[in-house]
Amino acid sequence: MAATPTPLEVRNIKKRFGDTEVLKGLSLQAQKGDVITLIGASGSGKSTFLRCMNLLEQPDDGDLIVHGDPIRFKTTKHGREPEDWKQVVQMRAKLSMVFQSFNLWAHMTLLENIIEAPIHVLKKPKKEALEHAHALLDRVGLTARANAYPAQMSGGQQQRGAIARALAMDPEVMLFDEPTSALDPELVGDVLKVMHDLAEEGRTMVVVTHEMGFARDVSSQVIYLHEGLVEEAGPPADVLDNPQSPRLQQFLAPKY
Amino acid sequence: MIDLQGYGPRLIEGAGVTIQLAVLSLILAIILGLLTASAKMSRNWLAHRLATLYTTLIRGVPDLVLMMLFFFGGQIGVNMITDWLYYSFDIDIFININAFVAGVVTIGLIFGAYMGETFRGAFMAVDNGQIEAGKAYGMSDGLVFRRVRFPQMMRHALPGLSNNWMVLLKTTALVSVIGLSDMVRVASEASKATREPFTFMIIVALIYLLIASVSEWIFARLQKRYNIGYGEAD
Repeated sequence: MAATPTPLEVRNIKKRFGDTEVLKGLSLQAQKGDVITLIGASGSGKSTFLRCMNLLEQPDDGDLIVHGDPIRFKTTKHGREPEDWKQVVQMRAKLSMVFQSFNLWAHMTLLENIIEAPIHVLKKPKKEALEHAHALLDRVGLTARANAYPAQMSGGQQQRGAIARALAMDPEVMLFDEPTSALDPELVGDVLKVMHDLAEEGRTMVVVTHEMGFARDVSSQVIYLHEGLVEEAGPPADVLDNPQSPRLQQFLAPKY
Repeated sequence: MIDLQGYGPRLIEGAGVTIQLAVLSLILAIILGLLTASAKMSRNWLAHRLATLYTTLIRGVPDLVLMMLFFFGGQIGVNMITDWLYYSFDIDIFININAFVAGVVTIGLIFGAYMGETFRGAFMAVDNGQIEAGKAYGMSDGLVFRRVRFPQMMRHALPGLSNNWMVLLKTTALVSVIGLSDMVRVASEASKATREPFTFMIIVALIYLLIASVSEWIFARLQKRYNIGYGEAD
């Protein structure tokens, strides 16, 4: 079968910080076009799990396979590490991450932020990178802010800009780490709308979020984590509308 | 007009020596400072210890003592090595420690220790999210350093760097004790010969002030450049 390789697969990821085991063996498989949302209370390990997928955190155990290419690990006295950092760097260029605190590079304009990695990492010609960047700015509604510095933009603009920066990499998979949690409530909608459109056009996404409405609308799979383990997983109609475990029922219940 | 009694050209040459010495020492100090800062932030135990030893030694010994130690002590050390080479292996070489090189090395070593602390603080002031964003977009460590860490670190380092430079500039006056003809030495020779110390010292003071003012202007421009994006410049 000439199927394209699975964009992202993680198996049995374990991670401990000191004496606390925060991830106790988590797996996930994102096929092309999947939108997988990770939900759970704070401390459930969902952000750490996401950060293990591009190795911003080093998992103590488990496999990571990006586009059919398994990352090789070795064990040193400092713990488990990737064997070949070049392989990691290449892997990361295929996954782009959108952070909770945006993390646009503060010393660059929005436009410079967007063309930075395509030029220096993907070695795209500048002209091509600029054309792509302008199209993306238009798409996220920030054409007028191209030459603004992050500090001059609102949180919602920064996050939409960060999504444009992520798209500029033509990523295999986009990782979103609570992209709306740091935003004022009135700015959340614009960011969710952009993400909604991305899901509809068939982008492969893994999203850590507290936005249950968004999770319900766009997810192909919802994973509910509790204390580093998958408590429930499945399509949103099952997990969000018909939760089985008392913990998830309580998590989804109105808080007021 | 002040009568320089023919010492004008030599004073200008001396000023040239001062500037060359200061700039080369600064470059060495920046390199050593970056290395020291990296060593102190690394998880390598030996690198960390060596860097700490270096800064402790340098900061605890007066500049003048270090300079004479390197110049005279260095020559004695080199002579011992060349003598040993001659008697043991019949290799005959002669190395003369040049006062200019000794000056650059000493001042560079002294200020490298201070720069190390400046850079370390500045690197730690860079928000980790900025570095993570670089890594997450497939940048190698070298690229993250060049495109993100270094430019953002400089914003925090420049005030300390410019302060160190001013002190370094004045420290170059010490090289006159090891026989280097910087402008202080020329002026002091001229003062003795003409018995007009005030004339020559005021000129030297004015030249130092001029160099300092030009540097302040350059540092202000650099500060403005590295502040871009932080609301102070557009």
